[in-house]
Amino acid sequence: MKRAFGFGTIEKSVVDDKRLLYTIASYSAVLAIFANLSSLQSPFIGPMMSIIYFVINALFLGNALFKKEEAFFRFMFGMLSLILLLGFVGWLTLIIYNLDIARVTLVLLAVATLSSLLNMRMKNRNGQK
Amino acid sequence: MDKSKRPFINYLRITEILYSVLILFSFSLLLISRTGEAHTIWEVVNPLFIPALFAATFLLVTIMFTSEKVAHKLTFVIIHSILIHSFFSIIFPAGDMSGQQMVLGRSRLVFDNAVVHGWAPWPAMSITSRVYEWFRGITFQAALSVVLARMLSIDLLWVHLSLIPVLWGAFVPIAAFLTTKALGGKEETAILSSLLVSAFPYATYFGAISVHNSLGFIFFFYSLYFMLRYLDSDDSKTNSLMVASCFFSFLSHSLTGIMSFSLLLLALAFKSHRREKSTRVTATVFLLISFVFSASILPLSFIYLGLFPIRTGRAVFTLDKLYTLPFEEIVGLFLLGELAYGFDLKTMLLIVVGPLIAILSMIYLLYKSKSSPSKKYRIHILFLSAAFLMILVDYRILKLFMEGLPLNEERLWVFQDFIAAPFVALAIYAIVSSLRTSLKALSLPNLSVSSLKVSSKGKILRVLGLLFTLNVLIPVTMAGWLIASLSVAYPQVAPLQTTWYELDAVRYIEANTHEKYVVIGDVWTIFAGEVIVGVNNPRAYYFLEYNKTGFDLFFNMSQEPSLQWMLRAMTLTDTKIAYFIITEPRLGTEDFNYIVSKALQNGLQIYGPPEGFGNGRLYIFYYEKEDNL
Repeated sequence: MKRAFGFGTIEKSVVDDKRLLYTIASYSAVLAIFANLSSLQSPFIGPMMSIIYFVINALFLGNALFKKEEAFFRFMFGMLSLILLLGFVGWLTLIIYNLDIARVTLVLLAVATLSSLLNMRMKNRNGQK
Repeated sequence: MDKSKRPFINYLRITEILYSVLILFSFSLLLISRTGEAHTIWEVVNPLFIPALFAATFLLVTIMFTSEKVAHKLTFVIIHSILIHSFFSIIFPAGDMSGQQMVLGRSRLVFDNAVVHGWAPWPAMSITSRVYEWFRGITFQAALSVVLARMLSIDLLWVHLSLIPVLWGAFVPIAAFLTTKALGGKEETAILSSLLVSAFPYATYFGAISVHNSLGFIFFFYSLYFMLRYLDSDDSKTNSLMVASCFFSFLSHSLTGIMSFSLLLLALAFKSHRREKSTRVTATVFLLISFVFSASILPLSFIYLGLFPIRTGRAVFTLDKLYTLPFEEIVGLFLLGELAYGFDLKTMLLIVVGPLIAILSMIYLLYKSKSSPSKKYRIHILFLSAAFLMILVDYRILKLFMEGLPLNEERLWVFQDFIAAPFVALAIYAIVSSLRTSLKALSLPNLSVSSLKVSSKGKILRVLGLLFTLNVLIPVTMAGWLIASLSVAYPQVAPLQTTWYELDAVRYIEANTHEKYVVIGDVWTIFAGEVIVGVNNPRAYYFLEYNKTGFDLFFNMSQEPSLQWMLRAMTLTDTKIAYFIITEPRLGTEDFNYIVSKALQNGLQIYGPPEGFGNGRLYIFYYEKEDNL
C-alpha cells in the first residue's frame, strides 16, 4: 500500500518531523500565504503553499488519529480532519469577530500547531524518535 | 511477478489508461458546454458527453471487478464522482440557481469583511436568535469557504462552487466503501458501493449543489460509519470520532445533525442491548422503545424550533391532510411520498429501485445471518436496517402529519440512499459471485478451441452466456443505471439560470461605483448580485431574496419607474446611488419594452453601454442623490 502511492517515504519523513522541519515548513507556508494575500497577490503562490500546508498537516493528523488505517485511508481521513479543523477554528473566529486576512492567518497557524502537537503526541506515545 | 498474470496486468493498465483518457475527455466536454444562458444542463451539454461518460463508467465497473489495488480503484471512483457532481459548477457560470447562490450571498459578506463584530451580520433580536445563527450551518460553510478562498488566493465564487462537488466526490465514496466493509462486504463489494452511491438521484443532486445541508450529509455518512465501528468496539477513540462526526454534522446543518444524534441514541441502545444479558422480551421492548424515541426526535425538533425567533414558518402536527385529501392520495403519499404527484415512470423507477433492492437485501441478509459465519456483522445489519426504517417512518410522519416545515421532507431520501447503497452493492455482488461460481462449475479445463470441440453445445452456450453476463451485461447495466440516474438527478425543467449578462451588469456596477449603492431588481437580479457582492452588503446593497420592501420597490418601479422609488431605496439603505435593473427574458418582451420606454420618459438615465447588456436584453437605470437632497 505504501508503494502504491509512491509517498510512503514522504509520509514517514513528514510524520517523523525531525527537528520539527515539517512543522516549520507548514508555518512558512502560512507566512507565504499571508504575504501573498497582503501584498504579492500571485495566483501561483497561494495554491502552491496551500498544497504544502494540506499535505503536511493531513499527514500529521492522519498519523495522529488514524494510525491503524491503511495509508490511503489514513491520508484521506487526515485530509478530512484537517478540513474540519479549518472549518471549526474558522467558525469560532467568525462568530467571535471576523475572518479577515490576519485572522485567517491565525486560524491556519492554530490548526498547523494543533496538527503538529497531535502528531508529536502520537510519536511520543509510540516511542518514535 | 507471476508470468501468467502479465498479460492480464497489461490489459488492466490499458483499460486504466483508456478510462483516464475518457474521463479527461468528459471533463473537457463539460467545459466546452459551459454557457451563460440556459435553463438546464441538458439543453447545452455536448452530445458526445453522455456516450463518453457511459463508456468511462463501463470501463470503471470492469476495473472494479479486477484484482487492482483498492487505493487505485477508489482514486478512479473519486475522480468519477467529482465529475458526476460538477455539472452545475462547470456548465453554469454562477452554479445552480437559488439555494447555493443564497449561501454564497451570505458567505460573500464574510469574504468582503462586511462582518466585523461576529456572525450574524444583521442585528440579533435576542441571545437565542444569535445562538441560532451561530449553529445554522451556513456559518460553518461560510467560514470554511472563506478560509479556503484566502488560502488559495482565489475568488470565493470558485471555492464555493467547487466545495461540495469536490468534498462529496472525494469523501462520500470512501464513507460508502467503509460502511460496506463494516457490513461484512468484501473489498470488491465495497468499491462497488462507493460508485453506486452516485446512482441515487437525490444524493447526486445534493452532491452537486454547494449548500450547507450537503456538507452535513457528508458528515452524517461518517457518523453512521463510526456508529457501526462503535457497535463492536470499546475503543475510546472510536467513541470520540463518532461523537465528533455527529457534532460536525450538526454544525453543518441541523437536519443532518439531528438525524446523526437520533441514530447515535439508537446505536447506544443497540450496544447496551448487546452487553446486557436480559430476557428476549425485555430486550425487544427496550429496543422498541429506543427506536420510537429516536424516531420521534426529528419531528419534535421541528416543533421545538419554534423556541427560536426564526423567519421560517412554524411547524405543527396536524391531521388536516388525513381529513382533506382523498383516500387514494393518502395511500399514494404513504407508499411513494412526493413521487405520488405525477412523476413519470422512469423518474419514479430510478428513485425507488435502489431503496427497494436495499430492503430486499436487508431482509435476505438478516435471514441469512441468523445461522451463517457472517453473524458477527448481524448487529451492523440490524442497526442499519433499523436506521433505514426510522427514516422511512420519519418521512411519513413529516409528510402526512406535519405542516409548516422549514424544509422539504424529500431531503430525508438522501439519508435513506446512503444506507441503501451498501445493501444494493451487497445484493449485486451476491449475484456476481453466484454467476462466477456457476461459471467455475461449468468451466472447461482451459478455454481453447479443442476443448470447446469436445464440449456439448448446451454447455458452451451456458459458458458463453455467463461470460457475456459477467463481462458485458452487468457492467453495461450498471453504467446505464448510473447515467439514467443523472437524467433524474439534474432537473429537466428549470427557470432560466443566472445569465452572463446579469453577472456582467452586476460586475459593471461594482467595478464603476465608488460610493455606497443600492440595487432594485427582481429576485433573479438579487441572485446575480449575491454571486458577486453578496446580499445585504452595506456597501453594495441588494435586498434579501424574499424581502418585502425589496419586492415592493421593484414592483412599484415596474409599474411606474420614477425617481421617487429610487430615492426611497436610498433612504432606506443609507446609500447615495440607486440602480434599477430589468431583464427581458425575466419580464417578457412586452413588459420589458414598456418599462424601458416609461423609464426614459420619466427622465431616468441608462447606466453602462447605451445598448444595454446582453445585446439589449438587460438595462440598468440609475440615479445619484445630490448632496442637498
